[in-house]
Amino acid sequence: MIVQTALLIGVVLFSVLAIALRDVLRSAISLAVASLLLGIVFFKMNAPYAGVFEISVVAGLITVLFILTIALTRAGDEVRESRLVNWVFPLVFVAFVAVDALVMKSLLGKVPALAAGAEAGTFGEVLWKGRTFDLVGQIAVILAGVFAVLALFRKREKHD
Amino acid sequence: MTNAWYLYVFFAAALVCAGLLGLLGKRNLIKLLIAIEVIGKGVSLLLLSTGFAKGHILTAQALVITFIVVEVSLVATALALIINVYRHTKSLDVRNLAKLKG
Repeated sequence: MIVQTALLIGVVLFSVLAIALRDVLRSAISLAVASLLLGIVFFKMNAPYAGVFEISVVAGLITVLFILTIALTRAGDEVRESRLVNWVFPLVFVAFVAVDALVMKSLLGKVPALAAGAEAGTFGEVLWKGRTFDLVGQIAVILAGVFAVLALFRKREKHD
Repeated sequence: MTNAWYLYVFFAAALVCAGLLGLLGKRNLIKLLIAIEVIGKGVSLLLLSTGFAKGHILTAQALVITFIVVEVSLVATALALIINVYRHTKSLDVRNLAKLKG
């Protein structure tokens, strides 16, 4: 349990760094480290497939996409952030974490849970038989993403 | 088991809060997308930890994998949009998008 707590603290720390750091490239790398730690937490939770997806896709592919975008928009990273945020952000975050620590345990006791039978079979069976509709949705979402990127990067006509 | 669940949900809520604060406070478009990613991390942690605590880890894994696929599609589209916005405005400041002129 101590290892999980340390990993989760690392996830929150690197996520906060990803938002708070001024340099966008460092933010993207912090986000990748947070994803890596979250993937290890998933492995510890006996969820190897989710862990592999988290590490390979979120920590790998999404970071590459972010770094590519940062490289393409390098000259425009001098966005002036609000100074107020620099001290309001940690203050509100610490206040939220304190309230979270006080309230969450009693809140969780009140969450109603639907009765459900125990799970049987392997992950593949659950994915292919139980969540077939999700897989169809995933294919549709990937296609929608591909078409959206194609539409956004299409070559302009000469008369435009 | 409830103690472990409490721990995971506590950190998931902290992640979602950090992401929301980033969304509210930041002006750089890439930073805003990073904040959305952080919220996504919190949500996937919440999904998987609840599945783990209730003994339905396989269904939770299937949901998290669906969520990750949707997330990748979202990020690819949003980053393409950001590059297009940068080409038009030569800036990544979100306030430039509020000007409806031209």
